[in-house]
Amino acid sequence: MTIQADLTRVIELFQFPFMQRALMGGVLTGAMGGLLGSFTILKQLSFFSEALGDAALLGISLGLLLGLNSSIILLPFAILFALMFSYLLEHTKLWTDALLNILCSSSLALAIIILSFIGEYKGSIDSLLFGDILAVQTPDLIFNALLLVGCVVFLGLTLRTQMMLTLHEPMAIARGISVSAHRTAFIVLLALVVGVSIKAIGVLLVSAFVVIPACAARLLSRNFTTHMLFSAGIGALSAVIGIVFSAWFNLPSGPSIVVMQLAVFLIAMLCPRAQGILE
Amino acid sequence: MHRTIDTAQVSESPVLTVENLTVYREARIAVQNVSFSLASGTDVAIVGPNGAGKSTLVQALLGILPRQSGDISILGQPLSHTRKLPPHVRQQIAYLPQNFLVDRRIPITVEEVVGLGWDRLGLQLPWSGKRARRQAVRQALSQVEAWHLRHQLISGLSGGETKRVLLAYCLVRPRKLLILDEAPAGLDVRSEGEFYRLLNQFKQEQGWAILQISHDLDMVRRQCDRVICLNHTIRCQGSPNDTLSEDNLSKTYGFEFVRYRHSCERGNV
Repeated sequence: MTIQADLTRVIELFQFPFMQRALMGGVLTGAMGGLLGSFTILKQLSFFSEALGDAALLGISLGLLLGLNSSIILLPFAILFALMFSYLLEHTKLWTDALLNILCSSSLALAIIILSFIGEYKGSIDSLLFGDILAVQTPDLIFNALLLVGCVVFLGLTLRTQMMLTLHEPMAIARGISVSAHRTAFIVLLALVVGVSIKAIGVLLVSAFVVIPACAARLLSRNFTTHMLFSAGIGALSAVIGIVFSAWFNLPSGPSIVVMQLAVFLIAMLCPRAQGILE
Repeated sequence: MHRTIDTAQVSESPVLTVENLTVYREARIAVQNVSFSLASGTDVAIVGPNGAGKSTLVQALLGILPRQSGDISILGQPLSHTRKLPPHVRQQIAYLPQNFLVDRRIPITVEEVVGLGWDRLGLQLPWSGKRARRQAVRQALSQVEAWHLRHQLISGLSGGETKRVLLAYCLVRPRKLLILDEAPAGLDVRSEGEFYRLLNQFKQEQGWAILQISHDLDMVRRQCDRVICLNHTIRCQGSPNDTLSEDNLSKTYGFEFVRYRHSCERGNV
């Protein structure tokens, strides 16, 4: 009886446009994160989404200082961050995680200094840290859908090149591939995906959308193409289950999706195919 | 039309021409004023001590490293100072690096690796030429007797199997120039013999020009048509039997090389 009542309540909840938009937003964000995540973990850029999330605070604080909407300033800031990271990676030859740490901590320090000049900022910071997938609007959905199409087209057209770069960089250069151009394009795209996802999921959890589905998919796949497709699929599926789960138990949506991603990852670990990797 | 003209140019000129090449590495001269050429169907070895600039030289030829000065021409086309070559020329070069170590967490199968050798790379639809690609991969893997490995992850193969798959990567498209940077390093005697048997077979069948770095002087005597002794500059070059004399090797490797070799022959080491 209780289950039936809960089910009715959840179904009624999904009649509301904001829940439908949240579901759509979750699927789009999950699929995008999973799709790019498959390459992100193989290129050992997992920390990028975490660092960009933290550095986004600087973008938001600059927006507050200049009186601009945070979502307007976030994307240009994300692209700037990506280009700066790509430049430093190429010109300093330092370690990826060390460079990300420099950018992330210095952005955070600058943000705190800027915020010390601004009195009222708590609301913006809260929404940045935790996000709100239920607040996703139709224009956000349209932008997310266009970005997903952009990701599919980019990865579709450069799939073989990305594979060659992931396999062996010098062999890829010998084939005439520009490592710098492909890496910069990928990082900028990843920055855009992380930037738009922050609004729905928040800084604290955004990296999970990129990393966890990709890791779960790696445990289940035996070749490059299935890894990429499984990763996007797990990202989207976890979002659907997570949002239904959050509606059922009246829990925060973003964290519920991440918990579902973790559940899929744990189940994937039990798969016999995963044993070869876990050994 | 364009392709026909290029093919005609290719058949008349050397596969590789290097003139007065100088390459810096870490602000030091690694290769200085090196000139040589490589004709179709020949196998040329580069020998020299560690740190002599052998890998730097081949990496500069491939555009992996920038050069300070000099001219490089592959299949009649100059390698620009921005390290660009026309795509149809790049397509005819295969490079096997010194260490082909693949992270075992990368889910890439043997079939996918060989398929990458067939692909033109750059921007292309993932399904373009799917049937021809599959057929070429099948043929190349069958030629190196590795078709049964096609679904295996490349990281899970033994050293000998990996080299065979890499040969299939070279074979999957017609090539003119094969550059090997100590490619058989780490193989046992049997696998190395198998690697060179296949290499010889395909050199004759495909007319590959081969440029290979090696530390195995006996192999160079058996296998190669010409040898270049390099220690930052070319110390000597010619046929292996004439060139690999003690005097020349002393010039290339230094006095210690000859003393070590004599000690080995007397059984003192």
